[in-house]
Order: sequence, then structure tokens, then C-alpha cells
Amino acid sequence: MRSNPIFQRCVPTHGFRAPILAAAVLSLLLPLPGAEFQPPLKTTDGFAVPQPGRGFEFPRDHGSHPEFKIEWWYVTGHLLGESDRRFGFQATFFRRAGPQLTNESAIPATSAAFGNDELHLAHMALLDVPGGRFMHEERLNRAGWDAGSITNTLAVHNGNWFLRLGTNAGSDFALQGSIRGVASFSLALTPTKPLVVFGENGVSRKGAGSTASSHYLTFSRLAVEGELSLAGRKQSVRGSAWMDHEISSSQLDEDQAGWDWASLQLNDGREIMAYRLRKQDGSTDPFSRLAWVDAVGVVTNFNSTQFTWSAVRTWKSPATGGVYPVTVKLATTDPASGQPVTFTLEPILLDQELSGGLGGIPYWEGACHVLDDKAEKVGSAYLELTGYVGSLADRFK
Amino acid sequence: MDAAPASGLTATLLRKFALRHWRAEPRQSALLVLILALGIAVFFSIRLANRAALASFQNFTDLITQESDWLISAPAGLLSESLLSELRERLNPQPVNIIPVFETTAARPQTDPDEAIGSRETFQLLGVDLIGVQNIAARRVQDLSWFGQASSSAAGAGNAESFWQVFRNPRAVFISAALATRDQLKPSDPLTLVVNENFVTLEVAGIIPTTAEGPRAPATLLVMDLPALQNLTGQAGSLSRIEFVVEQGPEVEAQRARLREQLESWSGERWLVSSPADRRASAATMTRAFRVNLTILSLIALLVGLYLIFQALDGAVVRRREEIGILRSLGVEEYLIRRVWLLEAALLGLMGGALGAVLGWAGAQFSVRLVGRTVNALYYSTSVDAARLEWSELAAALSLAVASSLLAGWLPARAAARTPPAQILVRHALAPPGLQFWRKKSLGALLVLAGFALVLLPPLRFSGGVRFPLAGYFAGLCWIIGGGILSGATLRTLARLVRPLGRWLIPVKIAAGHLIQPSGRHRLAVAGLVCAIAMTAGMTILVASFDTTMRGWVERTFQADLYISSSGAQSATTENRISRDTWKSILAHPAVADVNLVQTCDVELPEGKTMLNGAELAVMQRRTSVSWMQPPLSDDVFAFEKNSGLALVSESFSERFSLRRGDRLTLPTLQGKKELTIAGVFSDYGNERGSIQVDRGHFAAWFQNEQVSGLMVFLRDGFPAESLRAEWLARYPGLRVFSNAHLRVEILRIFRQTFAITYALEVIGVLVAVIGLGLTLVSVLLERRAELTTLRALGLNRGEIAQATAGEGLVLAVAGVTVGVAVSLALGWMLIFVINKQTFGWTLGFDVPWGQIAGLAFLVTSVGTAVAYGVGRWGAALPADQEE
Repeated sequence: MRSNPIFQRCVPTHGFRAPILAAAVLSLLLPLPGAEFQPPLKTTDGFAVPQPGRGFEFPRDHGSHPEFKIEWWYVTGHLLGESDRRFGFQATFFRRAGPQLTNESAIPATSAAFGNDELHLAHMALLDVPGGRFMHEERLNRAGWDAGSITNTLAVHNGNWFLRLGTNAGSDFALQGSIRGVASFSLALTPTKPLVVFGENGVSRKGAGSTASSHYLTFSRLAVEGELSLAGRKQSVRGSAWMDHEISSSQLDEDQAGWDWASLQLNDGREIMAYRLRKQDGSTDPFSRLAWVDAVGVVTNFNSTQFTWSAVRTWKSPATGGVYPVTVKLATTDPASGQPVTFTLEPILLDQELSGGLGGIPYWEGACHVLDDKAEKVGSAYLELTGYVGSLADRFK
Repeated sequence: MDAAPASGLTATLLRKFALRHWRAEPRQSALLVLILALGIAVFFSIRLANRAALASFQNFTDLITQESDWLISAPAGLLSESLLSELRERLNPQPVNIIPVFETTAARPQTDPDEAIGSRETFQLLGVDLIGVQNIAARRVQDLSWFGQASSSAAGAGNAESFWQVFRNPRAVFISAALATRDQLKPSDPLTLVVNENFVTLEVAGIIPTTAEGPRAPATLLVMDLPALQNLTGQAGSLSRIEFVVEQGPEVEAQRARLREQLESWSGERWLVSSPADRRASAATMTRAFRVNLTILSLIALLVGLYLIFQALDGAVVRRREEIGILRSLGVEEYLIRRVWLLEAALLGLMGGALGAVLGWAGAQFSVRLVGRTVNALYYSTSVDAARLEWSELAAALSLAVASSLLAGWLPARAAARTPPAQILVRHALAPPGLQFWRKKSLGALLVLAGFALVLLPPLRFSGGVRFPLAGYFAGLCWIIGGGILSGATLRTLARLVRPLGRWLIPVKIAAGHLIQPSGRHRLAVAGLVCAIAMTAGMTILVASFDTTMRGWVERTFQADLYISSSGAQSATTENRISRDTWKSILAHPAVADVNLVQTCDVELPEGKTMLNGAELAVMQRRTSVSWMQPPLSDDVFAFEKNSGLALVSESFSERFSLRRGDRLTLPTLQGKKELTIAGVFSDYGNERGSIQVDRGHFAAWFQNEQVSGLMVFLRDGFPAESLRAEWLARYPGLRVFSNAHLRVEILRIFRQTFAITYALEVIGVLVAVIGLGLTLVSVLLERRAELTTLRALGLNRGEIAQATAGEGLVLAVAGVTVGVAVSLALGWMLIFVINKQTFGWTLGFDVPWGQIAGLAFLVTSVGTAVAYGVGRWGAALPADQEE
């Protein structure tokens, strides 16, 4: 299973050991439109639309896809340092293409070092649990000498931050991050489970609109080893991480206000990915999803009617005034037992908001404990809450 | 006596003893304060103007981001942008912001082809990565954001759309709030500029965001996206400098220090590392000689004023000696008397200083333009047009005012305190002779001789080739004071000479009678005049000699028919160049016989910063007659095939770095270091930084740059320069074409303009001296009230008394002018051959402008006499019993 997951040729409705039984269960759970969904090839502004049945090739598809408008690489994780000192980290690298140029005469002079086709936004955050501190930094750069990505493999960078497909043994990722001059980390990430492609037939739909979708590639569990330097003190750290790569040209529908998203890594070796797309009126969009990844990487999908996401407690940001539902209860069915199951995500620290100075989008992205219905810790999670300050849909337009 | 009663007594004494006199003579007191105020005002205004000109030297990037920790720049020419990736790679994973900068200048299009150089505004065009700088800028509270300011004008365009429109617009320019207000510019408005030799119309994208508490962007600052500016100037791939900001954190200091070491170790002589403070210091060094000279000149008025304050306080001791005697006999101790005198002097200093600060601050608004104009023409681009009040300078001015009046009051205070009461109480006892030392001719002669010894000393040398002729300045001071002392003797001689006329003219007799035994007051007034005249006439001699030398040099050196530069080139430091295509097409014109192409760039030698010129040395030899200090020993330096290892240097360069013909220098180029041998030293009066000249062919190859800063065109016979000028102006509107005559006029005009401020300073010095002359006569007449009464009783009318006073004034003025002019010859000689040579390294011919000096002498004498006449008329009407 650990053979070489990254270079594995994936098919959209993959499963590494996709047993017939699982396939049958899946087909029962899958919503009907999936099979018939046929999006346009391009958005109205000329960018590619994720197409069902796309065959992914690696390492190429870990790299960037300039024909799509938006793309991001996202890593979160939970670390233990010296004396079991606990940390959480987040690293996100966004790529955003500018409007395509149609009029020949309007093509501006381009410079390789100072491009004007794409912007690269990146966020880095570190939660120091015993210190009770949450630190973060944002960076915005044009594609060029100090930020960018390549198309043949994963190598995205922004200033001194980077996420690369490592060269050693061919299967490690290298993540370098820092927050101001206060903290820095250099981590080696090794997937312990095969790559998952969420969605149906390789397309993760995010709304009723025919272009509101993404290709959603995930390593749901990676082993982490590395070094963390905090306030001048270096220590080695180890732990586990989650890594997403989403490729899209249109992320939200007009009537959506934002999304809540979570990645749960359970102590039993399984993971859950769930997102709730919120409509402007506060209701849950039917395109919200929950997916279980079992111990060997087989995915079980649930649609919006098959799980509930409810806020237990809110926290008001003193920085932005946003009110975030930071404690969340997820109720769904355990595909292994077929029994209902409830998880509570409890933030390790309330203030894990990225206040969005540069990107203009404040959001909450934080490390959480996962508690079962007996309030026992059964795992760790990262919770993402967007669209609670200002209008997210406007930002994405 | 314990402290409390003593201080109470001091206050009482000050009020009753000193201030009473001030109130009794309000006009005289006011004049005295005014004299001191003028001296302080001149000093203060020059200091403020200097400070403003210095402060205007900015990196500008700190307005947009924050002050960088370090920056790197090429020792000569520009940096390649490929360094950026290399640096990021090498620096990883250190959290360091790398900020590339491209900077150039631009000007408004010219409307009049015959306009004066420098009459149009020069803009600093700063190219930064408008996206990247926000990473640092976003940490501050800013008044605006870079993008989105134009969104209201792009009808219906959303945020994102307007962002990309502005970001991708290669003509988008951000302007300062000051320019927007002044020129009423708003987003989307066009802004046409001359960049290099081209007219370009930029589009205003918005206002440069700054912080509320930080410095405001000057009106002349324009900001563009870096690649857009590179392309606009034809310098794609090049950077002026790269700045570095280390991220804040607990180890920031160590990180900074480490970064500097890293940058230095990776340089491999490709770049130089400096800090913004280093750059400011280097700008300060560059202009130090200029500023110090100006500050010293600004002290003329104060020095003249000091004589007068000294004299006034000394006079007061004489007048109040009876009171002092009474106080002493009442048991007031010596130290209290001295303290009261010194307090009075300090009070005068404070009042004069305060008034001087007000006048000086106002004057600074005027002088700052003059200083700025010179700095702009000779050193670096500055648009300074207002001087801010600097508290440290204000404190310095006030301290100077108090210190100088204490200095002037010290001897009179001692004299007052030491006056034995018994002697004073004898009414009509002889007035104490006052300042004995001021009457010693031997002291005067000794000072003059000391001056001659001092001029033989070399200047002080500092790093970067900066020299300061300290001994020279002291020599000047010795001569001025020595001349002042000797002028007292002159007064007696003159009085003896005119006394015989007294047989026929009663007023002459009276005047001469007073001056045969000149009082300390007379002597000091004349010394003040000597000081003012000597310094003014001395400067006149320097300027005239400079002028004559320059004219000769311009005649010999500027022999081309037409001179072509970008019309954006407004000063020595503008970056406007002419592209290869344009100069090639001019070269191809059938009227052109020969062209000397000139390329230029700043170059940082290990010894200091200087200028490198590339010129067609063969054309130079063939067409112009160079003024050599040390001519080349062979013609090799003029032959392109033989001169790649040879250079010519200017006299200033040679003086500054102590390098002569045959010495070697190492020149950093983009092609590595070049070892050059100095083949000759030529005279040049550009600026004191000096310059190196190499063949342009090598320059172009070494710096991979074919853009030239100027063309000197020699026409074939039969082609009139004026018609070619018109033809080229029409064909290349972004060029400026000067005829030979016009350029010569312009060069001399700029040269003379740089002396404008010195004239202003001298005028004030002379003014103070003439006021002082009047003031002296006023106090002399007050003392002679009894005598005036007698004269009136003897039948002299008011006119005759006035004539007598006028005669006295005339003799004083003539004595001052005579000695002053004599001292000025020595000062002029010293300014030219010692101060100027040691500071700037220029050899000048000695040329005394007799006409101007005679004019000055006549003016001072006649105004002095007229003032004396006025004072005499006023004095003749004084009632005999009026209390002082």
C-alpha cells in the first residue's frame, strides 16, 4: 500500500483495493446526478472547468494547472515537540490567474521575473499549544522570481516558503514555512496512505452551477518529521498531516455565503473530510459532502442529507468582529458499523483566525480535538470556517 | 551672603541697574537685539536649509515599505535582476524580504527650446514590485491601498477587474497626494513626461499610499510597477538596487548582522552592501564641503555683530561706571556685579537669538531653494522647497546667540566688576581705557603673521577623500581679527591726514579731533566694518577668479557646434539618456562631421564615490583643446586600440585621491575589475567628486550599455548650426539641442547661480556693519551731550554738527574699507589657493574684480557717511539734560 502512492495512476472512482462490495455500497450512497453531470469545457471567462473522468498523472498533477483560474495546495498537521509539547500548523499556497487577455494589443510587456498573469497568495500559521499562542503570516506575490509554481511537479514557493515534492526516495514532500522572524519550520511529509480523489468521477461539485466544482486531491494522512524553531529555540518535531490540492475555476455559487470544512484524523486510522456549503439564507447547500477514508484509503461518500453539521459554540473575533461557530458537532453514520456516530470538534485555542490583511479574506482555520459522544478524545482535526466576515462570493468573483 | 538673598539681589540689580538702561534707550537696545538677531538669523536659516537639503536625500522605498536593513547596489552601473533568484536561493530559509528597486528620473516636456536648464521639475521615478511591497506595507496602517483607487472611474468594473486593469497597465503611475492636489490630477488622468529622450504619457492610477504618521511623499515622487518602468526606460532586466528587510523576531539583530556578512561574502565584488544610514551619510559627505563653507559664510554677519555687541556692552560699562561705583561702595561684591553684567549679556543673547530664530526660519524658506538648487545642480536630485523647524538647530542657534553675547560681554563684565569704587566716584575721572589688548598694534601684526604661517598647513583628511581646510579657516580668522586691531591705528593716521583741512572746515576739525584718540567704541566699529568688507570682497575675488577661469575653460573645452541631451536632463544627477537608435540616426546625418558621444555613470572605488565618463577620446583630441594639469606623455590614450588600460582623470579626482599621472586605479565594471593607468590629468570644474574618463567604446563594452547622456556634434562646413538645431528639435521632441553659444551661457549661468546664496549672505554682513557704524555714532553722541551743548552755544548749527558727525563716519568708513580691502586681498588669495584647492581640488587663476570692490567701497563709505549724517542731525537736537 505504501508502495508509491504519489506516482500511482489514479482513476476518478478509484480505490486502491476497491472491493466489489465497497463499490456496491458506494453506488447506493452516491447521489444520482453524478453520472450524468457534464459541465462545459470552459467558464465564461475562458478558464478550464474540471471534467469528469479526467485521468490524473503524477507527479505532473501535483504541479500547477495554469488553464484553471484557482488552485491551492494546503497542508495542516498536528505536531509533538520536545517534552510532548503540542503544535498545530497550517500552510496554504494559492495560485490565482488574472483575466485572460483577448485583445492582442492589450498584452502588456511581460517579464519572467515580474509576471503579471498570476498572483500567489500564501498563508502560514502555527499554534503553540502550551504557549497558548497562535501566529500567522500572509504573503501575496506575483508569479515571478519570488513566488510561483511549476507544471510538471509540485514545487510551489512564496518568498522563503515552499512546498516541494522531495527528491529523496521520491515520495516525500518538503515544507518550509516561517512566521515573521518568530517561528520557522522545515518539515518532511511522507504519505502513509494513498492519494484520495474526492468527488464523483474526479469532480468535486461545490454548487448547482455547472462550473462550480474542483478536482480535489488529498493525502489524508502523512507522517511528519522535521525541525521547528520558535523564538530562537530549535526542536525536532513529529506528527501527522493532511494535504489537499484543489484545482478549480469557480469555487462558489452566487447564493453561497461561505463554507465550513473539516478534516478529522481519528485514532483508529480513519479520516473524515466534511464540508458544509452555506447559502446566503443560512441553509445548507445540497452539494455539501462528508467522506470517510478507511484505514487503507477507501472512500465512502455521504451527501448533505446523510450528515448534520451543527454549531455548538461561537467565538467572536476581537480583530475582525466575525462570529465563528468554532465548536462543531458532526452527526453521521459509521460506514464500518452502519451505526450513527457523533463527533464534536473542540478548538484547542479559540483565536485561530487569519485576519486577512492581504488576501482580504479573514477566516478561521484551527486545530481541534475530536471528541466522541462520551467526550473522549478520539482524534485531531483542522476546522476551516469561511465567509463569516464580509462576502466571500464577492471576493471570489 | 547666602544663595537666596544673593539671587534676590541679582534680580533686583538686573532690574534696576541693567533693564532700566534698556528701557531708557529703547531704540538703541532694539537695534542691538536686531544686530544679534540678524547674525543668528543668517546662521539659523543656512543651517535649516542645509538640513532640509540633506533630509531630502531619501531612498523613497521607506515611504512605501519601511526602512530597509541593508541594500546592495552595483559598484558601477546597474544590477542584473537574475541576482534576485540567486539571493533567495542562498538566503533560504531565512525570513528576509528582498525588495528590488529600479529608479530613474523624468521631467515634464519642454515647451520652450531656449529655456534654462533646471527650470522644469525633475521627477524621481521609482519602480518597485507593487504586489511585493504590500507584504511589508500591509503591516502599517495606511491611508490608501495601491489598487482599487481607480475603480470608481472604470465604470461598473468590480474590484478584481480594476485591480488587474491597473496592475497590467504598463503606463500606470502612482503620484503623491501633494502632486495630485497641486496639479489637480485624479485617477485615469494622463501625465506626460520625458523619459530618456521620449515623450511618454502615463496614466494616473492613484495616490502613493503612506502612513499617517510617516513622512509624506514629495510632489516629485512617482511610483510605477518595476517591470513597467524597466521597459519604459529600455532597461529590462536591470535593477538600481536591491533592498533587504529582516523579519521582526527575537533574533532580529543577530539576523541583520548575519545578513550583512552573508551579502558581503556572496558579493564577489559584484555589489556593495550599505545601509540606508550609510547612504545618507554618503550624501552628507558628498555635500559636506559645500555645507561647511556655507555655514562659515553664514557666520560673517554674526562675527560682525559680535564686534558691535562687544562695543555696546563696553560702552555701557563706561556710561554706568558711576552707578557701579555706588554699588561697590554699598558693599555689592565683585562677583555679583559681574554676574549681573553677564546676565544682561545673556538676556540680550536670548532676545537676539529668539528674534533671530524667527527671522531665520522665515529666511530659510527662501535660502532653502538656493541651497536646494545648488545641491540639485552639483550633487543629487532634490526637490526641497521648504525648511522644517528643527529643534536641535533652534537649540544650537539660541546657544550660539547666548554664548556669543556672553563672549562679547565677558571683558566688559570683568572691567565693570574690577572698577575700584574710589576711582569711579571721582566725577569726571578719566574713562577707563577699556580694552587694552585691542589697542596693541603688535598683537594685530602677530595675528597677521600667524595667518601666513597657518596657510602653509595641509588640510585635514577624512575617509572618502573628504578634506577640510581647518588651518586655512583659522588663517582667515587671524587676518580678520588682526586687520580689525590694526584698523584702529589706521583711524589715527587718517584723522591726522584730514586734520589740516580743519583750518577751513570746522566740522572736519571736530571730527578729526575725536578720531586722533579713537575710543574703543570707534575701534570696534571699524573692526566690524573690516570684517564685513574683508569677507565680502574676499568672496568677490574668489567668485571673479572662478568666473574668469571657468570662462576660459568653457571657451577651450566647449567647441562643438551643437550639444544634444535628453530634454529631461535637468541636473548633474538626472538619469535621462539617449537610446542607441536615436544617436545612431543623428550620426548618420549628412551634416555631421564628428560626434563626441558621452556616457556617464557613478562609480564606487575603494577610495570613494566618483563619476566615470566614457567619451570618444580621439574626437576629443582632434576637436577640442583640453586644459591639462598633467598632459599625457604619448597619444596612446586617444587611440581606441591602445587605450583599454588607460584613463584620464580630473584635477579634483587627482587631488581627492592623491593619484597622479602614471598611478594606477581599479575600476569595477560589469565585466569585472579593470586595472587602469592614469595617462593624464585635466582640469574640470564640474563638482568636487572628480571624474575618470575612458574611451566610450570600452565603457559601452564594460557596462553593456549603449545609451548615451550627451552628444557633442561637430558640423561640416556649410551646414548652419541653427537650422540643424531646428531640424533635430522638430524630429526628436524629447531631445534638447543647444547651440555652442547658448550652452556656454547656460553653464556660466548655473555656475553663477550656485553663488547666489553667498551674495545674499554678504549683503547681510555689510548691512550689519553699516547699522553698527550708525549705532556706534549714536552712542558716541550720547556720551558727548555736554560737548554738543557747548558746540551749539558756540554757534554751530544743527547742519554743521551733522556734518561733523558725517565726517567722523566717513573717516571710520574709509578706515574700515581700506583695511578691509587689504585683508580681502589676502583672504581672496587664500580662498583660491588654499581653501578652494584643498576642498574642491580646483586650480583657479587669481583675478581681482577692482570695479566691484571699488563699488563696494564706495557704497559702504557713502551709506556709512549718510547714516552718520542722520545720526548727527538727531544728536544735535538732543537736550543736554536728557538722561541716558
